[in-house]
Amino acid sequence: MSLQRRLTPYVFAAPAVAIMVIGLFYPVVEALRLSFYEVRLGEPISPQAFRGLTIFLEAVQDPSVRDSMAVTLEFSVIVVTLEMVLGVGLALVLEAPIRGMTVLRTLFVLPMMIAPICVGLIWRYMFDVNVGPINGWLSILDLKPAWLAEPGLAFFAICVTDIWQFTPFVFVLALAGLQGLDRSAIEAARIDGASAWQTIVYVKLPLLAPILMITLLMRVIDALRGLEVVYAMTNGGPGLSTELFSLHIYKSAFVTQRMGYSAALSVCLLIVTTALSALLLTRTSPLRRLAR
Amino acid sequence: MRISRRNALGTVLGAGFAAACPAYISRAAGTRWASLKGQSIVVNWPSHPHYDVAKTLIPEFTAATGIKVELDEMQYLRMKDAQVLEMSKPQGDYDVIVYVIMWKTEYVRRNFLTELAPLFANDELAMPNYDASDIITAYYEGLGLVGGPRGYLPGPGAKLYGIPYGAECSVMAYRKDIFAKYGLTPPKTYDDMLHAAHVVKEKERGMGGLTQRAQAGHQVTAGWLYHLSPYEGQVIDDRFEPRVADPAAIKATEVYKEFIDTGPLGGAAFDFGQCINSFLQGQSAMYCDSISIFGPARDPSKSKVTETVGYVVHPKANRYSGELGGFGLAIPRNSARREAAFAFLQWMTAAQQDVRVTAQGGQPTRWSTLDHPDVKKIYPVDVYRECLRISNPDWRPIINEWTEISEKVLGVRLSEIITGKSEIKPTMAVAAGEIKQIMTRAGYYKT
Repeated sequence: MSLQRRLTPYVFAAPAVAIMVIGLFYPVVEALRLSFYEVRLGEPISPQAFRGLTIFLEAVQDPSVRDSMAVTLEFSVIVVTLEMVLGVGLALVLEAPIRGMTVLRTLFVLPMMIAPICVGLIWRYMFDVNVGPINGWLSILDLKPAWLAEPGLAFFAICVTDIWQFTPFVFVLALAGLQGLDRSAIEAARIDGASAWQTIVYVKLPLLAPILMITLLMRVIDALRGLEVVYAMTNGGPGLSTELFSLHIYKSAFVTQRMGYSAALSVCLLIVTTALSALLLTRTSPLRRLAR
Repeated sequence: MRISRRNALGTVLGAGFAAACPAYISRAAGTRWASLKGQSIVVNWPSHPHYDVAKTLIPEFTAATGIKVELDEMQYLRMKDAQVLEMSKPQGDYDVIVYVIMWKTEYVRRNFLTELAPLFANDELAMPNYDASDIITAYYEGLGLVGGPRGYLPGPGAKLYGIPYGAECSVMAYRKDIFAKYGLTPPKTYDDMLHAAHVVKEKERGMGGLTQRAQAGHQVTAGWLYHLSPYEGQVIDDRFEPRVADPAAIKATEVYKEFIDTGPLGGAAFDFGQCINSFLQGQSAMYCDSISIFGPARDPSKSKVTETVGYVVHPKANRYSGELGGFGLAIPRNSARREAAFAFLQWMTAAQQDVRVTAQGGQPTRWSTLDHPDVKKIYPVDVYRECLRISNPDWRPIINEWTEISEKVLGVRLSEIITGKSEIKPTMAVAAGEIKQIMTRAGYYKT
């Protein structure tokens, strides 16, 4: 193959790579550089402000950092698990081409289209103790929980909100995956006498696994970075019961105005997210499976 | 929709001034600021009841002076981020900012603001009839002066960097009908308040005693501060040592929690809007917070209790001591249009405009506004004067580190206390330790 032909793919990829370098790698590298300095909002980075790894040490030793990471991990495990179960379940139910399915699919996808900050505001009022419709319905049973005023209930509320918003994401990807499955395998299972449940468990889900793993990976990354909904609903309270890590970083940056410390926290989150992603990718190899 | 006499009177008053003022303002401003005509200024503006009313006057300012005004409106706690970023630049986009009182010291220390005295001394820019001595003294000193004792109190070294606008003190509002129903007297002391809160909570179905701010962060700290000062508590002392674990602060916290427990349902998560609406919608019998309630309380589109609200001064615990807070207008040092900005600042806070804004539900800035006969008819001026008299300029420490202390220390620990997650004394001891760390990091204890 001539040199020109070998270089052609790289030439075509070069603009995209350049945009990625400028738009992605440069900010990340700058954030990493900032994380070694004690810098306040609005101040330039000066050599006198260099603190090296002591900022990371301070972050790791801060109990509120560990608390918010624990809340974030708990939140991510719960919402991602339920979203995967509900999303795949909905896709399996709505896979069949029955009348009105297009309308139903459109309706199910709508929550994903709403800006997260609006979702937070909507559900804040849904859960309002006095005027919210949820308590309006529960008042029939003489119940009126103070959803956002009690730590456990507030955590439940943000989980419900996230599941409402992002189950459609899993649903859309799972549905697309199901519609792209090799029908011959499903037909063969039917001919062999497999029940509907057996077909799902032993044929469809294994074939769908690579797509589900990528979906899982994307949801895990997003859940770890969640900010807007909890900012609008609870501002991290009561106490620190709903303070997700991204909100903790936001407050460090714009409340305490410690930009270097916030950058260090961001790097910590990046490390955690990368580690979890690498774990998922190496254990499941979804891209390799899709390539087969 | 039923229109009350008070609303009709307020509307007529506002309309009358609207008709009379432009001509006067135009004559006063037309020649003095002629060179500024055609300029545009950008003002960072909060979403707040007072400023919602004040906004309606801006077209008249433009008509009178030829200076166009562009508002960058946002939620008031989020203004600081935008302001700090803009004022850090060599030349910023904001020509006027609205600041919250707790930011003034930091802004001056970081050399963000223009000192106003030289501008007022400039005969070519200053309105001859402005009369700064007419500005309510507590507001002028609390919102405008920086550099005095402790960095933020009036006294030697203090200089003028802002003009109060939307400033506030605290007042006690109560439901006259509910109090009459249960034979309660208008609260004069904290014992009266607590007794009334318990009675209402036990006997009036669907109603709580005292509504308060309590959402985690800035709001819960603000709600707690309303009780700290009357019990003679402090956040930090003159040596900048934390005092939040002292007996006075512990007592204030106990009282705050008791009000939460006897308050409206869900009160432990209320922000200011929910706090005030709880009272205006008839879900709480008492409100003890900013005087910004005066306007909405008599507006039938916002209040279900327009005819049944009584006002008394913030009750006494160990002493009478109320809030001093709110907003002020300032000119960033890096503004390219400081003269036009100064014209805007003067015009908005001039006597005529102050009366008009107050008549439409805003908050007064001047003594003359309180003395105005038509304002006296619709505003509880006597109570307001008492509230001003007891307002405490040291209600909270206005230091650079206050936002961090308020939102990340007290805003978390107090929220844990009022939601029952932790006990008061050990938690406030933890808070004191965290405040000490912040003050140490900031260099307050260097010898």
